[in-house]
Amino acid sequence: MAAGFVDFEITWQADVFDGAPQASSAAEFGTQGINFRARKAADEQEWHAALASLACEVPTTL
Amino acid sequence: MSDSLQTEASLDLGRLRQAIQEEYTAVARDPGRGYHFHTGRPLARMLGYHDDWLEGLPEGSIASFAGTGNPFRIGQLQLGEQVVDIGSGAGIDSLIAAKMVSPDGQVIGVDMTPAMLEMARKSASEAGAGHVEFREGLAESLPVPDGWADVVISNGVLNLLPDKLAALQEMARVLKPTGRLQIGDILVQQAVPADAKQQIDLWTG
Repeated sequence: MAAGFVDFEITWQADVFDGAPQASSAAEFGTQGINFRARKAADEQEWHAALASLACEVPTTL
Repeated sequence: MSDSLQTEASLDLGRLRQAIQEEYTAVARDPGRGYHFHTGRPLARMLGYHDDWLEGLPEGSIASFAGTGNPFRIGQLQLGEQVVDIGSGAGIDSLIAAKMVSPDGQVIGVDMTPAMLEMARKSASEAGAGHVEFREGLAESLPVPDGWADVVISNGVLNLLPDKLAALQEMARVLKPTGRLQIGDILVQQAVPADAKQQIDLWTG
């Protein structure tokens, strides 16, 4: 497995569609503009350490 | 594979890409027409673009700006860095990145819409930005060598891609180890039903 991303963070969030000339058909789903950042892991070791540190349950249905 | 992934996989990708190209060709050629998103300098101000970042950039690229965030608000780029701008559109973010990494850095903008590429190349020429190159390509198969980039930026593009995993894998491929992602995009706060994901109009508008 190739090294993935670590240090993911959403740094900013706002309604960037408010007041646009046309209504958005996706607005009913609560669309928001965001900025996010992440960093490619330095190596496989850092990537696997990041995976191992995850402590979450994956829902059985989405 | 989850139901939601199966639904997205059954989308007509050709039709979706065509619809996106039509939408953004219109933005390139008629940015003031009025869309479901803001455009141009007012949008750039709303998103926190500094006036000095825009100084000297051709008005055509600024007018056709249609981002949803601000990759540079996350952190300014450093002198000499190599940058890939995915879905570079009319070129505003690539040209700002070029100013930040100049004179020794390089920027590659990638876009799939010929009208946007034409405008971006014209703007780079007008701005005298020789260290920016715009390449035709897809986010899911970037025309960039492995491990080339210090930073990948993108603005309002990932949300348009059904196969986000493929796009993220490409971003990882072109980045150097410890390379940075600085992305402006969209999130949805409510789950989108599977049948809604089949609607091309919902993806583009």
